Amino acid sequence: MSTMVAIGAGIAVFTGIGAGVGIGIATAKAAEAIAKQPEAEAKISKALLLGAALAEATAIYGFVIALLVILFLG
Amino acid sequence: MGNLAEELMAELTCETAFTIPVFGGIPIPESVAVTWAIMAFLLIASVLLTRNLKIVPTGKRQIALEYCVTFLNDFFTGILGEHGKRYIPYLSTVLIYIACANLIGLLGVKPPTKDLNVTAGLAIMSIVLIEYCGIYSKGVKGFIKSFAQPMPIITPINIMEIFIKPLSLCMRLFGNVLGAFVVMELIKIIMPAFLPIPFSMYFDIFDGLIQAYVFVFLTSLFMKESME
Repeated sequence: MSTMVAIGAGIAVFTGIGAGVGIGIATAKAAEAIAKQPEAEAKISKALLLGAALAEATAIYGFVIALLVILFLG
Repeated sequence: MGNLAEELMAELTCETAFTIPVFGGIPIPESVAVTWAIMAFLLIASVLLTRNLKIVPTGKRQIALEYCVTFLNDFFTGILGEHGKRYIPYLSTVLIYIACANLIGLLGVKPPTKDLNVTAGLAIMSIVLIEYCGIYSKGVKGFIKSFAQPMPIITPINIMEIFIKPLSLCMRLFGNVLGAFVVMELIKIIMPAFLPIPFSMYFDIFDGLIQAYVFVFLTSLFMKESME
């Protein structure tokens, strides 16, 4: 039972893949944009922060689910 | 692993700090007590900082204060526009409160934002403000009509958003604070000395401030959306 719970929690944390890829792409594009237009850095970093926060949410949901799985089943 | 689960559960549950002995005892959770402490701190700080202000500032205190207030005003005006100026005091207060609540973990106190009820309360206040914004700027008729925009077919999605927005705001703040806390606990188990310092810089200070920023940023963005 305990091993199954651990595996389940591990699968839930796979949501982190999406967040990692998403934030990576967003940061890459932001770096490109700043290289093209250094004067627009303030606006770009604001948009980047928002996008990163939204992309990160999926990873956070996965984490919360994994924690709940461990706490209430394990 | 069982030991860790128990420890995490103990941290997750909201302990009762003390009980007010009226009406058969009102239990006060720890998060509420810490929130009161933060409120007292902010109240005293704001009273002390705004004493004998001058039109032409001479002291460093007033210059620093004016810089901070102008920064916050410009930041929110940039998102909300000129019409949104009336909401700035609330948003600034929430920003300062969440920042304090996230940083108070450094003092060894349980951060209130680690309690799901606190973040849920903040998120519900946000969604009430967001919908109020829409009603105030568009009128009741325009507000109801705005659910059918841009197409009538997405009305269910627009209605669902009323519940999804606060849920995601609440879970984002709670999950981030809790996640940072759990990671810090794990690091402390591995090596209690020196190793937690750089991680604490990121997880406790940087992440806490970023989450406070993101919370009010998203709230004001949703407000702007509902005002248009």
